[in-house]
Amino acid sequence: MHNIWLIARREYRERIKTRAFLIATLLIPVLLGGLGFGSGFLAQRTKASAHIAILSDGSVLAQDLKHELEQGKDSNMRVDLESLDDATVARLNAQLKDSKQGLVGYLRVVPPADPQSRPRFIYRGRSASDIGTDTALKQAIKSVLMREKLTGRGMGLKDIDAMLAPVEIENPETGDTTAAFFGAYIMFILMYMVIMLYSMNTARSIIEEKSSRIFEVLLSTITPEELLAGKILGVGAVGVTQTSIWMSAAGLLGVYFAGSLSGSGGHSIVTVPQMLFFVLYFIFAFLLYSSIAAGLGATTNSEQELQQLNMFLVLPLFCCMMSLLTVIKSPDSTFAKVMSLVPFFSPLLMNLRISIGTPQPWEIALSFALMSVSIVAILWVSSRIYRVGILMYGKKPNLPEILRWLKYS
Amino acid sequence: MPIVQLDHIRKMYDTKVAVEGLSLTIEAGAMFGLLGPNGSGKSSTIRMMIGITRPDSGTIRLFDKPFERAALTRIGYLPEERGLYKKMNVLDQLVFLGQLHGLAATEASKRAKAWCEKLQIAEAIGKKTEELSKGMQQKIQFIAALLHEPELIIMDEPFSGLDPVNAALLMDTLLDQRKQGRAILFSTHRMDQVEKFCDEIALLYKGKLVLEGSMREIKSHYPANRVHVHFTGDSTFLQHAAVAKFENFGDTAEIVLHDGADPQLVLHQAVARGTRITRFEVMEPTLEEIFIETVGENVDA
Repeated sequence: MHNIWLIARREYRERIKTRAFLIATLLIPVLLGGLGFGSGFLAQRTKASAHIAILSDGSVLAQDLKHELEQGKDSNMRVDLESLDDATVARLNAQLKDSKQGLVGYLRVVPPADPQSRPRFIYRGRSASDIGTDTALKQAIKSVLMREKLTGRGMGLKDIDAMLAPVEIENPETGDTTAAFFGAYIMFILMYMVIMLYSMNTARSIIEEKSSRIFEVLLSTITPEELLAGKILGVGAVGVTQTSIWMSAAGLLGVYFAGSLSGSGGHSIVTVPQMLFFVLYFIFAFLLYSSIAAGLGATTNSEQELQQLNMFLVLPLFCCMMSLLTVIKSPDSTFAKVMSLVPFFSPLLMNLRISIGTPQPWEIALSFALMSVSIVAILWVSSRIYRVGILMYGKKPNLPEILRWLKYS
Repeated sequence: MPIVQLDHIRKMYDTKVAVEGLSLTIEAGAMFGLLGPNGSGKSSTIRMMIGITRPDSGTIRLFDKPFERAALTRIGYLPEERGLYKKMNVLDQLVFLGQLHGLAATEASKRAKAWCEKLQIAEAIGKKTEELSKGMQQKIQFIAALLHEPELIIMDEPFSGLDPVNAALLMDTLLDQRKQGRAILFSTHRMDQVEKFCDEIALLYKGKLVLEGSMREIKSHYPANRVHVHFTGDSTFLQHAAVAKFENFGDTAEIVLHDGADPQLVLHQAVARGTRITRFEVMEPTLEEIFIETVGENVDA
């Protein structure tokens, strides 16, 4: 035990002293906060501002649409009204091909044969993926049509506007939904980063010791198991220190802003249980991923070789990234439940579900139990690989060789 | 007290036999040479001795007790593959390695400073290891092996990469350690470097012990029948009944004597005939020559 403590303490001291630790501790939250805040700010402030043309036979509908698109609450477009004929279509097609022109698309409003039914709307855009303009058009057309229908039934403009006004949902218990969403999202990204960073640190630390040939000296008094345990504890402790600093800072900032902003209803973006779970899930995630990383580090001789193998770490994390949207939308769906119980995904997905939903306590307990079992199993395999690998220099072993290492006594 | 006892140890790596049926004993206060060309199993033997690997069969006893890990803190080891933490401060590094061998931090720090003074690298103590020259790093590693005052000192190729001045400094330190009753195990393929210091040797070749015993004993089996003479004047003393053959280079000569002949008789004849002798050396065969004679082939060491 004493040896494990010595190894862990050395690892911790040497890492915490580095400039990289200081920079990462300060910079990562600033960057993430800036990114989260910035994109949230932009998403709220930016209105669709494209320049389009509406081709019609001079109907009132087209004029209302122009008005809605230019002055509506979600859009700030520039709209030209044109007449609906083949010459104009040809001219606009030519304009679309010329990228110097600001025009991004044109909408043809084709009057219906039967005056009671809706006109046809045909849009041609420069880009097939311009979701913003597409959404703005749909919204505008919908509200213009509704307005027209309601006016037709004899309703006053004032009443219509009052009816169409956006609804504000008050949510005094959990605070602002958007803020909570961004909080959970930033925590997710942060978790992703620290898992990657610290499991890679474990692997790097092993490679560093391997390339500096220090292992022979160390192994002359301590066992490889003690060495591996000390290393994982040491690197992990640095990670816990860093995440604790972040969480405390987020907590303090949250309290500070909650006090100064009356609008948020006194709710911090990140709650105390969320912070505790973050640190707890980080610890388990780190143990799980760094056990894999230790095996990878022991079989490689250089950073470059490690890069080729780090898909073993990235792949599970990437799966979490892919299922992020689905889980955020419906955190209590079967898909989310199953995914968040997979040990490799739990630290990201179960933690996310805790931030945004209410998973059952047994689900949380089960996720920890499953992670514990996986950690023990993976550690068993990688400590065997580690024991042999750290004294193997030179050639990178192939899979049959690594499997043979498992059998060495 | 026997410090190390190996009894018929054997180690295989996959299909290659690294060490086969090796038995040897190292006594306290002995300078023991584990010799042999590269790849003869020296490092494999040492690794088993200090528990980095386990023998497939055979037993190892340390300090007259069956092998136990607790005994490892009484051993100092300088591996052939030198290694230190590059980014770590020298003093921190020595204290850390000392602590791993059971020293308290303050004691380790005190001793580390004293050793750096003694080996003339006091200025290195506050620096990072990577800032030091290779020779200095070697000395740091050497100190790390001796800091906890081990009863058995294992040196695997200790002189590789050292200049003659530093090699002599380290050798003096080791001789000093022997005087204090510590056993020293030298492992090297440079037999000429250690033969004058070693009390006992074991010669390994292809994982097997080919020659073992005290230096004197081994050499006594190989007759000292060659004489190297520097002289001026009459060279007729070379035609003596004891001389099997000779080569005369004018003022020096190489003589091979008949087995059992007394070289003193040749010297006597030279003096009697008025030849001035400036040097008269009866030469024992070198370890390398003995080794080559034993294994019966030339090996590039």
